[in-house]
Amino acid sequence: MAFHKINITINGGLEQVVVPSNMTLMRMLRESLSLTGTKNGCSAGECGACTVLMNGEPVNSCMVLAVECDGAEIVTVEGLADDKRLDPIQEAMIQEGGVQCGFCTPGVLMSSRALLDRNPNPSEEEIHQALVGNLCRCTGYVRIFESVKKAAKKQRVTS
Amino acid sequence: MEKETQNSHSPIGENSPRIDAYDKVTGTAVYADDIQFGNALLHARIKRSPHPHALIKKINTEKASVLPGVKAVVTGADFPGYIGLYLQDRFIFCRDQVRYVGDPVVGVAAISEEIAEKALDLIEVEYEVLEPVLDPEFGAKPEAPLLHPDLGQYVVAGFIFPKAGTNISNHFKLRKGDVDSAWEKCAAVIEHSYRIPHIQHVPLEPHIAISKVDEKGEVTLWTSSQSPFAQRNLIAQALGLSQSDMRVISPAVGGGFGGKAGVSMEALAVAIAMKVKGHPVKLCLTREEEFYTAFVRQGLVAHFKMGCDKDGKLLAMQNTFYWDGGAYTEYGVNITRAAGYSCTGPYEVPNVKADSYCVYTNHPVGGPMRGFGMPEMHAGLEQCIDELALQIKMDAVDFRKLNCLKTNSILATGGRMHPIGLVECIEKVSEAIAWGKKISPSAPNKRRGKGLAAMWKAPAMPPNAGSSAWVELAEDGKVNVGVGGQDLGQGAFTISAQMAAATLGVPYESVRVAAPVDTRYSPYEWQTVASRLTWSMGNAIVNATRDVRQQVLDLVAEAWGETPDELNIVNGVVISYKSEKEIPLKNLVIYGLPKPDGSGWRGGPILGRGNFMPTDVTGLDAETGQGEHGVVHYTTGAQAVELEVDLDTGRIDILKAVAAFDVGKAINPDLVRAQMEGGFVQGISSALFECLQLKNGVVQNPSFVDYRIATAADVPPEMQSIIVEVPQDDGPWGARGIGEHSMVPTIPAIANAIYDAIGIRFEGPPFTAEKVYLAMLDAGIVKP
Amino acid sequence: MSMNTHPALPEFEYYRPETLSEASEFLARYPAEARPFLGGTDVFVRMRDGLLTPKFLVDVKNLNGTNDLRFDPQAGLTIGAGVNMNRVIASPEAKAHYPLLVEACQSVASYQLRTRATIVGNICNASPAGDTIGACLLFDGVLHIHGVNGLRQEPLTTFFLGPGKTTLKPGDVVTSIHLPLPPKSCQGTYIKLGRNKLSDLCLVGVTVLGHPHPAHPSGVRFRLALASVAPVPLVVAEVESSLANHTITPEALREAASLAAEACSPIDDVRGSARYRKQMVKNLSAKALSEVWGKLQK
Repeated sequence: MAFHKINITINGGLEQVVVPSNMTLMRMLRESLSLTGTKNGCSAGECGACTVLMNGEPVNSCMVLAVECDGAEIVTVEGLADDKRLDPIQEAMIQEGGVQCGFCTPGVLMSSRALLDRNPNPSEEEIHQALVGNLCRCTGYVRIFESVKKAAKKQRVTS
Repeated sequence: MEKETQNSHSPIGENSPRIDAYDKVTGTAVYADDIQFGNALLHARIKRSPHPHALIKKINTEKASVLPGVKAVVTGADFPGYIGLYLQDRFIFCRDQVRYVGDPVVGVAAISEEIAEKALDLIEVEYEVLEPVLDPEFGAKPEAPLLHPDLGQYVVAGFIFPKAGTNISNHFKLRKGDVDSAWEKCAAVIEHSYRIPHIQHVPLEPHIAISKVDEKGEVTLWTSSQSPFAQRNLIAQALGLSQSDMRVISPAVGGGFGGKAGVSMEALAVAIAMKVKGHPVKLCLTREEEFYTAFVRQGLVAHFKMGCDKDGKLLAMQNTFYWDGGAYTEYGVNITRAAGYSCTGPYEVPNVKADSYCVYTNHPVGGPMRGFGMPEMHAGLEQCIDELALQIKMDAVDFRKLNCLKTNSILATGGRMHPIGLVECIEKVSEAIAWGKKISPSAPNKRRGKGLAAMWKAPAMPPNAGSSAWVELAEDGKVNVGVGGQDLGQGAFTISAQMAAATLGVPYESVRVAAPVDTRYSPYEWQTVASRLTWSMGNAIVNATRDVRQQVLDLVAEAWGETPDELNIVNGVVISYKSEKEIPLKNLVIYGLPKPDGSGWRGGPILGRGNFMPTDVTGLDAETGQGEHGVVHYTTGAQAVELEVDLDTGRIDILKAVAAFDVGKAINPDLVRAQMEGGFVQGISSALFECLQLKNGVVQNPSFVDYRIATAADVPPEMQSIIVEVPQDDGPWGARGIGEHSMVPTIPAIANAIYDAIGIRFEGPPFTAEKVYLAMLDAGIVKP
Repeated sequence: MSMNTHPALPEFEYYRPETLSEASEFLARYPAEARPFLGGTDVFVRMRDGLLTPKFLVDVKNLNGTNDLRFDPQAGLTIGAGVNMNRVIASPEAKAHYPLLVEACQSVASYQLRTRATIVGNICNASPAGDTIGACLLFDGVLHIHGVNGLRQEPLTTFFLGPGKTTLKPGDVVTSIHLPLPPKSCQGTYIKLGRNKLSDLCLVGVTVLGHPHPAHPSGVRFRLALASVAPVPLVVAEVESSLANHTITPEALREAASLAAEACSPIDDVRGSARYRKQMVKNLSAKALSEVWGKLQK
């Protein structure tokens, strides 16, 4: 099986990685780059635990081949915080109690970050639709919604 | 009870922020699959039985063993030891028989997961297919194929009663009063049967275990676990090791719900690792394997008969439970027992006859799942209560308030109920749902209904399940608490820190919990199950912290020539009410204090230790199920829902979901409410969507595509979580557990609401749109 | 199949051609072993399940304009093969002129999957459950295909042969789907029934498009397509003919819905029973037709 050398920007830093054809973006992040914040919940594009931003848009990284990412910009949960300052969505998630076991959390954060980027004032229903691809078994989603709303409010106040 | 430190801000009852949230939102929390093991890491895959029941005739691993990259191939021939928690009925790898689709037969370790996977295809296993048992009632009959011929020889806990020569691995009996003559005195009697299907825990993080055995034969196991100490104990026993030669480390756990308790796949990793000493061996379950080879929630066939007098007072209950325990019931037998002693539900019933059978079937392995038999049992029982109330023409809430357990009520097992707030829970929930007030449906093609259900549950555990804790401080005066219980997301570490902070007199922020739980350094904890940590581990933490406090006060008292009761610790500073002297903790916790006369030092490194183990749990009589104090305590509560049924599609829309539970004392109210919310949604999911579809022993839907769980779009728009606090006299600050209870009454609350809306009941959940619609069609409520 | 699902994707070679000609040539050279892919959301899942074992996966995104989404006020909407569903949803022209297609796209899976999923991919996958196929059929969609013999066009109506089977030949790469300008004042709706509220596959899907049509005695033209209840996405011609000749009344709409139910042939599977599906076709067709009729009357 052929290996491909790809140039990929991860959390703002340019990386050059050699990947086999069949390696998914998720596995490349976790295994080749030791960025283990992105989680593997199903490897089938169903649970959303592996959600990252690819060129600004959320994708299930288990459903993207690493080789397809040549030239792409990827943001993972590790890239949300700005040095020591947490992203508003991370802060809100802590304050509102949107985290329990934490396994769905990185994916939820990425989907929520992208939602607020494209829609700074989402309605309740828009939040549900944006997060329907992120399964959570612990929280019942209630406090995740509150976290997104809080982050949206905070961003509107500060912007 | 607890000496609240005066003038110190106690975090008890505060919504202290989760101690582990920062790591989780930054993606830095380490789960088992995140640990870096380096180049020596091997990957394991398991070849599993494709048959629900068969003899293994021959296994040929030749070709697999010589595949480049394969380092070990193991079978059951290498591991003769039985394993099990309450009943040792299982081998680590099957030896001569497979009993469910997915039963592990061969293990392979290779330098990559891909090579291990390829090796599986090169292994040939010859089976002789046997007739399977696919139903628990059939399995209990003498003519059913015998799945465990050696049942009579299995090592078994003293409170479990298997029937040798049958498929019944536990028969719990409860005989109280005289049921047979009680029926005549009843003004109303109802009889109803329910079938509750298998479901699965579906933690977002699938099971994972990495094991390394060194040249000395000492084992390390890294695993996402609710039970590091139980795993150490059980796996060591099965492999003929000494417990001290095995070390279990559990990093962050991505959800458990009971599925990561006891031992399921972890032993496989250890067994394989024994053949490649020096190499860590990683075994991950795919999501598909998680659905059918990890623990599942047992199925249940339940027959209820209950009657009341003309005033609505319950007189008799006769309940028979056939639990579909699956291929191995080493854990499931206790679910059977718990359902047996809880069989009346949270009601006072003078005459009770119950038989709870755990039956072997060739289905996936039943194990502990949130509620431990209570959701399955209440699913039918709370519907029967509604039906009986209807028959006696009494309001369902009034019927429950009349019959439900109160302080000092007599239990089905003969003892007395401790102070509880169940009536308050029922009242608050019925008020919150506006019980009795009928609201018009939102559209002509909808029908609207309300339903309510109550519940009870005690921690189901051995009578001597213990907890322990240690507490130490660093030079900066900050506190480190060692525990063996796990934070699965429920917040156990957070409340551990709150309790230690409150007991010692330091701010919450200055307390850390020593994680990950590591049996080499962490103190013993039986298991993180049964909603027992707040109460049991909490008591241990309080005891350990009090030990620290006492050592500190004794030291300072001696140094200042005062008495300890003239001293206190406030915000990390030891103060004297007598002399107004002060000394920060950090100045004395490591190096002690100098003697004033220059003759030396006193004190030294402060280390606190504490434990807690229930000491007054009696057994239950094997014939009658009666015992003075059969369980430590009960948590009770109620839920109600308002919903609409769509007449065009049968879809159920939960509009409002309210819950109230008596938790004794909410150490952290937000965390308690978070459990109530999460459990309710998981309960709704189990009521409306979830079912492991089993056909001839094969799970038809082992993936997220076809095993539907609640998504962000399925949450009721209005949810209310009400905390009731009637203190538990032996709980820290009066606290008892909540983690499981919030999922227990959900199915019947919804079923009762559906009945209110359309007058139909079902044999069991899930109440899918299709099931509801076709029932309405058959009942003539809608036209074809 | 899920019982034998692998942890990771099996081995294969990834090949990215530079041009359509290269792509067609390669695919024609390895008809049994090479498979084109766009978003991969169907292909990767089936490969993990062991249902597909291609030796080569040929990435046909970004070839000669297949990433373009173009609206021509005279000709209509051209959706390049590589255009993901979120882009279609966000497109002002799609929203303005083909809201039914946007509605259908919005019902698919999740936001993350729609970043990868494409309408052309949905069509080529040829699952009768494809959510966007009904709208494309009712908008008279035409596929632009590049093959070993160059470019050709094929109307969607003749494209589907069975579950997962299309008229595509080895070497064929669908480059875009073109939707001509819809009839004036047309209204549509897509009703999708899943097991839970959102994100599910389609258990039963009803797409309806209606518009004023003076040539018909009824004055309107209704068209209805069904998903998941036949071996192929099904346009029910009987619905159109029954609603062409008589005045539109609630009874006429209900009658048409019954015809839709009679025309379909659902099966029992792990997701639902044939009996339930047939009933839902009737109920949801009635609902969809009624909804569109209501919109037309405004």
